[in-house]
Amino acid sequence: MSKPHAIIIGAGFTGTATAHDLALRGFDVTVIERGDICHGTSGRTHGLLHSGGRYAVKDQESAIECITENTILRRIVPQVIEPNGGLFIALDESDLAYAEQFIESCEECHIPLEEIKPQEALRREPHINPRVLTAFMIPDGTFDPLRLALAFAGTAKRNGAKFRTYTEVKKLITDGKGNITGVNLLDLKSGKSAELYADIVVNATGAWAGEIVETVGVNVPVKPTPGVMVAFEQRFVQRTVNRLNKPGDGDIVLPQRRMVVVGTTSFEVDSLDYVPVLEDHVKLMIERGAQLIPAIAGAKIRGKYMATRPLIGGGEGRSVARTFKCYDHKEMHNLDGLVTITGGKATTLRAMAEKTADVVCTKLGINAPCVTAETPLLSYRQYYLQPNEDFS
Amino acid sequence: MEKQRNHPSPLKFWLWFNPIGRQAGGWAYILHRITALGLTFYLYLHLIVLGLLAKGPDGYDQFLVLAHSPLFVFGELLVVAAGILHGLNGMRIALTTLGVSVTRQKQLFFGLMAIAAIAILVFGIRMFTV
Amino acid sequence: MSPAKWNIILKIHRQKQGEAPHFEEFPMQVDPDEYVLDAVERVWAFMDRSLCFRHACHHSTCGACGMRVNDVEKLTCITPIREVTRDGATLKVEPLRNFPVVSDLAVDMGTFYSRMETVGARAVLPVSEAEIENPPTTWDADESQYIRLADCIECGLCISACPAAATSTEYLGPAVLAGAQDQGLKRNLKLLELVDSEDGLWRCHSAFECTAVCPSFVDPARRIMDLRMQVIEERFKRLFRKP
Ligand SMILES: Cc1cc2nc3c(=O)[nH]c(=O)nc-3n(C[C@H](O)[C@H](O)[C@H](O)COP(=O)(O)OP(=O)(O)OC[C@H]3O[C@@H](n4cnc5c(N)ncnc54)[C@H](O)[C@@H]3O)c2cc1C
Ligand code: SF4
Repeated sequence: MSKPHAIIIGAGFTGTATAHDLALRGFDVTVIERGDICHGTSGRTHGLLHSGGRYAVKDQESAIECITENTILRRIVPQVIEPNGGLFIALDESDLAYAEQFIESCEECHIPLEEIKPQEALRREPHINPRVLTAFMIPDGTFDPLRLALAFAGTAKRNGAKFRTYTEVKKLITDGKGNITGVNLLDLKSGKSAELYADIVVNATGAWAGEIVETVGVNVPVKPTPGVMVAFEQRFVQRTVNRLNKPGDGDIVLPQRRMVVVGTTSFEVDSLDYVPVLEDHVKLMIERGAQLIPAIAGAKIRGKYMATRPLIGGGEGRSVARTFKCYDHKEMHNLDGLVTITGGKATTLRAMAEKTADVVCTKLGINAPCVTAETPLLSYRQYYLQPNEDFS
Repeated sequence: MEKQRNHPSPLKFWLWFNPIGRQAGGWAYILHRITALGLTFYLYLHLIVLGLLAKGPDGYDQFLVLAHSPLFVFGELLVVAAGILHGLNGMRIALTTLGVSVTRQKQLFFGLMAIAAIAILVFGIRMFTV
Repeated sequence: MSPAKWNIILKIHRQKQGEAPHFEEFPMQVDPDEYVLDAVERVWAFMDRSLCFRHACHHSTCGACGMRVNDVEKLTCITPIREVTRDGATLKVEPLRNFPVVSDLAVDMGTFYSRMETVGARAVLPVSEAEIENPPTTWDADESQYIRLADCIECGLCISACPAAATSTEYLGPAVLAGAQDQGLKRNLKLLELVDSEDGLWRCHSAFECTAVCPSFVDPARRIMDLRMQVIEERFKRLFRKP
């Protein structure tokens, strides 16, 4: 029997990781992306390799996912990670009150935690707010968003996956009985249309997941929630710095090359394709960032940008769970041949891919175990070393 | 082959001389190329003229007349100028290669060009007054 | 209070496969403090969905959005519109030079990345090895355990701006030579043959355009000069080591 063919729509974190996983499980994979790799949300991620500390108190499922995946990614893609750990710092009474729950929850989620004295915290990170009352060290990290996706995409490519970039999926093709058999494409480089068929279509379009399935008249409960980030021109810290409290706006500062980046906010939008960077959000980031690292108030801004989270289900902004969901549309809408994977985080990209590939394999009756957790990725540059697919 | 459109090629040599959007070092580079091409051209011209001279004393006398015309002297000045510019620029490249003045390459360039301008002026005055 | 808006004309290089390249003008209203990339992205979002361009991080860490803006190489995500044009003027945006154009503003980074891979340019390095201008006064005792992403974001601006790269496709180019220098011949002697060649170090003619456009503190020109010194030193050593 020839290899089963899977089409993956979207080359963000989720799409590239799923391509890697399916390629390793013996699939013939074609990834369709309307831009280049990371054209959507993934490229503009804040870049925090979560240890789970941020979610430990409110959302333990996410926290456990994070610490597990954090450990795996450090092992399989060290090339794109600044693995320097992170600090949670308390600046006022309410932060101190939160500390108790924080310690307890981190223990429950098996997130390694070390409490350090204010002087010690200031010795390690001289630029943090000198009013720090107490601090905790946790295994956070920072990653380069594009290169993280490239490492997955490049390795997938070496294992035979094909990438068609600058190619937009216009609609899903059905067989008349309501099952998905392929996609209708428009190659933006040439203006030519084409059809491509597959045994399974994986919709990994993140915040745009709803738009894709709408073409066959169904919907998935994705809630696009953008956030603003601001990058400053000096590397004030070597580790990530978090406010020790409930997740809120502008409470994470992380180092990235020679910069620090403060993030984020959370709001709702009408148009997904272009979300403006709101000036008052930028102001808020400077203000909140300066609470953690006072020098930020006077630092030069290098970039202001935003990205749109694909959050799942109901609820408001930060209260929405941060885990991911893989929808088999056979179960949901009696539509075979289509799987949608969305939600989640950059940190959990590999787990999302594993789950998706499991669902796909089960659907097609294929017995192939997931090996991505033990497979080190090749150099991210591999992606550019082999040419992409074109229509001929 | 339209994919290659943006690719470097000696067939698009005029692009090498586009000064738009460049800074001191880029102008130096363009100047270096132009003077190099000029000097190469001159070398061939020189060889041809030498070939003519070898034909006998008549040719030589005719040539002397031509050689004293102001246009010819101007041409010679251009050659001298090209030599000076190319030489000094070459020094700039050699110096930066040896780690000298790497962070001050603009100053080095403008300094050397000032020297070149003075030298060319001096040569010019002497050539036209002799 | 948001500052007054500007009306500009974005003049974008367009080219679809099999078509001749041309410019297309998009009049638009912008905030002068927005970045050039924001304007380009809005063209894609609201005016022409077929526009092809590369971008990812929007804060100068990925190196995907290099373009030529009014004839100068810029990382468009950190180039405020205010710095490159004025109210009522035209803003010309073109793909990088010396790279094959995929379509419109998108170029193919294949050869460049394969050269970066050949010289083994480092992607991450110990913080202690990174040349930071203002290191904190009190480093952690064991600072060297910290790792950070390398300065070079592989944006290719230097190669687009390099006049020597415009004369030959074979020239390794500034970023690649800088990547070799970052390791140093002492650490990786295999680099010697690669960089000490016609299409390596010696094709550079000190135009310093790479350093002028580099958005990421790499200073490739200085690194090329330094690597030349390393090569000269190594060759001298070998001269005397011969029997
Ligand atoms: C502000 C912000 C900060 C964040 N910070 C962090 C963080 O610090 N750490 C962390 O772990 N996570 C973080 N996240 C979460 C993380 O960025 C996202 O969960 C992740 O990027 C989603 O990836 P994705 O691949 O599912 O979606 P995307 O990256 O959006 O990928 C979808 C792709 O599909 C393509 N596409 C859409 N429609 C079509 C079509 N019709 N045809 C072809 N292609 C199409 C798009 O171009 C896009 O490239 C953050 C998110 C936001 C918004
Ligand atoms: S050296 Fe500078 S300009 Fe060249 S690719 Fe690297 S970051 Fe870009």
